[in-house]
Amino acid sequence: MLEHLFYEDKGVLLQNLHSTAILGYLAVFFTLALLFSHPLYLAGIFLVGALAVVTAEALEKWEAYLKAGLWMALLVMLINPLVFHAGKTVIWRSPALPLLGNVSICLEAICYGAAMGIRLLAVLTIFCLASAVVHPDKFLSLFSRFAYKSALVVSLATRMLPAAARELANAREMLQLRGVDFAAGNLKERLKKYSRLLDILLLASLEGALQTAEAMQARAFGSGPRSCYRRELWRPRDLLCLTAGCLALVFSCYARVKGYGDYNYYLQLGVLVPNPASLILLAGILGSLALPLVLSWGWKHWPYLRLKI
Amino acid sequence: MALFEIENLTYFYPECDTPALKNINLHIEEGELLLIAGGSGSGKSSLARLLAGLIPDFYGGKLAGRVLFRGKKLSELGPRLLNTQVGIVFQDPEQQLVMTTVEAEIAFGLENLGLPQGEMFRRLAEVMGFLGLTSLKQEFTANLSGGQKQKVALASVLAMNPRVLILDEPTSQLDPLTADEFFNLVERLNKEMGYTVVLIEQRLERCFHLADRLAIMEGGKILRSGPVREVARWEAENSLPFLPPVAKFFAMLRAPALPLTVKEGRKELKKLYPSPPAPEKDQARPARLLPVPATRQDKRVVEAKNLWFTYPNGKEALKGVSLRVNRGEFAVIIGENAAGKTTLLKQLAGLLKPGRGRVLVMGKDTRTTALPELARRVGYLAQNPNTCLFQDTVEAELRFTLDNLGLEDGGVIDDVLKRLGLLPYRQTNPRDLSSGERQRVALAALLVAKPALLILDEPTRGVDCRLKKELGSCLAGLVREGLTVLMVTHDMEFAAEYAKRIIMLFDGRIVSDGSKHEVLGNSLFYSPQIARLFGGTVDGVLTVEEGLEKISANGELSPCLATKAGL
Repeated sequence: MLEHLFYEDKGVLLQNLHSTAILGYLAVFFTLALLFSHPLYLAGIFLVGALAVVTAEALEKWEAYLKAGLWMALLVMLINPLVFHAGKTVIWRSPALPLLGNVSICLEAICYGAAMGIRLLAVLTIFCLASAVVHPDKFLSLFSRFAYKSALVVSLATRMLPAAARELANAREMLQLRGVDFAAGNLKERLKKYSRLLDILLLASLEGALQTAEAMQARAFGSGPRSCYRRELWRPRDLLCLTAGCLALVFSCYARVKGYGDYNYYLQLGVLVPNPASLILLAGILGSLALPLVLSWGWKHWPYLRLKI
Repeated sequence: MALFEIENLTYFYPECDTPALKNINLHIEEGELLLIAGGSGSGKSSLARLLAGLIPDFYGGKLAGRVLFRGKKLSELGPRLLNTQVGIVFQDPEQQLVMTTVEAEIAFGLENLGLPQGEMFRRLAEVMGFLGLTSLKQEFTANLSGGQKQKVALASVLAMNPRVLILDEPTSQLDPLTADEFFNLVERLNKEMGYTVVLIEQRLERCFHLADRLAIMEGGKILRSGPVREVARWEAENSLPFLPPVAKFFAMLRAPALPLTVKEGRKELKKLYPSPPAPEKDQARPARLLPVPATRQDKRVVEAKNLWFTYPNGKEALKGVSLRVNRGEFAVIIGENAAGKTTLLKQLAGLLKPGRGRVLVMGKDTRTTALPELARRVGYLAQNPNTCLFQDTVEAELRFTLDNLGLEDGGVIDDVLKRLGLLPYRQTNPRDLSSGERQRVALAALLVAKPALLILDEPTRGVDCRLKKELGSCLAGLVREGLTVLMVTHDMEFAAEYAKRIIMLFDGRIVSDGSKHEVLGNSLFYSPQIARLFGGTVDGVLTVEEGLEKISANGELSPCLATKAGL
């Protein structure tokens, strides 16, 4: 389960982009997921996100994200109609309840909750995509130019996480064979048993941190001004993907200005497609966002394209 | 002028009353390979840190005397200049890697030195090419094997282009073949590239022949330093144990020459055996590829039947392993890194459940028996004993096991502490003890439960020869009392000395299983140094003692048994 959260090299195009290009593309994706409230736009972004996850061969990772995300989305869909009653289309009115009185369930609140649920899933999908395609080291290298200490701390933490997980598993095994049954006892007793694991992890981490710090000093860390190693190359594919992201952003801004990306949920649901231009713009946005995915497919299956980009 | 000159140096770690280094006087010449040997806590690592400038800069403490580098005080060099002159590789590769990928890791030191982009590219290309790391440049450091990690650590230091390379037990966590590969690199760096190398090592048989000079440390002092042969002779005269088995063997024979390598040793041996005798057929049996025959079924302690296991990531770690270990056996599992040794141990301890096949511990199927129940029968010590020490005192650690398993003390804590020499540390925090002592505490915490089967994963890692001897004697004593010991080790000398049975694993399968003479005696590369010395001359010799017995039986030369105990 835990290994799905870490980056794994699959050799897909999205993993082989310059960090500026892929981060730019993902930033546009994320911005759009927050920018629009129109259900069609949100659903479209979610679908392209899902397609990107498939292209990035990260379905297993996505499954782990969705397991948590779907419950949260359902919760939003359920809670919103219970809390907001501003809609005009009441589809059910509860009998008088203690403290709450009569609770009205409105169609508008259900639709709004569903749209927010899709937005949540879209955002989670984008995070999943980011963890699948952004190499942590490239990401840190990009930021280390102006915030290298923070980048280094993140790098150390990233490196420590799998090591700590291994250490934890080892400690757990050792304690199990000294008679500790982690499944037995009430919650308080089990918490006490787990706290011992944390003790071990803390002690081991502190000792390890001292050794790491020593190794860093031995390699001139903090000895004076430092430079930054840039190993990434800029290729045509980076330009294409970044341009696609920018294009999607331009289309989105235009849609927002024209009000196509907004949708009235209250007091009554608005018209889904008030103007055909709204759909044309949506197609433009989704098409732009999907361009890197098409390139990714071509990169994998069409050697000529691979040669050229 | 010597490269390093250390004069009358004494050093105390902060809040310590006893000096870690006492009155050290040492010269290190440019281009030489200095080997430093000594027991745990003898000050070897402190000396390495001193030479790398980490003492006192990183550790603090009090320092008297002076350290000169090319005639200039080390403290006057400044950290940046020092880092470009002296590089250090530590024992644990896991803790010295900072970045997430190989390329970034190697570049880390260069970035710290503020080098321009072009220079960094050049150095990275050269170092990765030299060490064969180019194919791994985008690999996550966390996914590398122990040997690869240590190579990356070496590459990170070499990229900084130091003139002196300090290696603090760099191969203690590597299997014999990977360790040999690492030392081949060190030899090239020293002999072909002109690096000055200061090497600290416990397993001397691997590197004795590489050294120009040898320094022996004890209690923070340098007892003796000088040309290897001269110091080795002095060691032999003073019954010190820091000699490779070949040298130890000839020292015990009081032979006029003191060979340091197998090649030299074989030349000397030819004088005793001018014409090699015909191989003794009964001792040169090939190792069995099948499990030990089903005898003494009533004494069966653990048994694996057609055991298969695949990790969730798809790695098939065990492929049809069948194995039976009887009561009172001392069996050692050997093999390269990632051969499936630790997975097999975890299966036999019940920590992992078979994918296919069965594991029976004292007749109980591990798939259906709860771990707490297995814990009464099996003691399991992982590679890193620190992962089980968390109590405030040694006694509390032992009592923790008893309480969890619902066992009465009945004097067992006293017994175990005494047996493992831990009585003086009864009220000491385990984390304040040395690594060898911590390991004994972890072992004691298992032994109080009086398990029938003791499973140990590389207990000799980073342990000096004296502690190894103590551990081996202790385990041998327990085996005599009926305990079954099953352990993984890369230390062939230890296996040859104490084990009765050797199981060789390769790619998740048992490729050889038999008595230690059958397996180690016939092994191409997993053989102890003495077996290589006697190979083709006298078969069935694995240890110094066995060699001496053969020579005695041959009537050629009477070994001096008076020195035997000392060495």
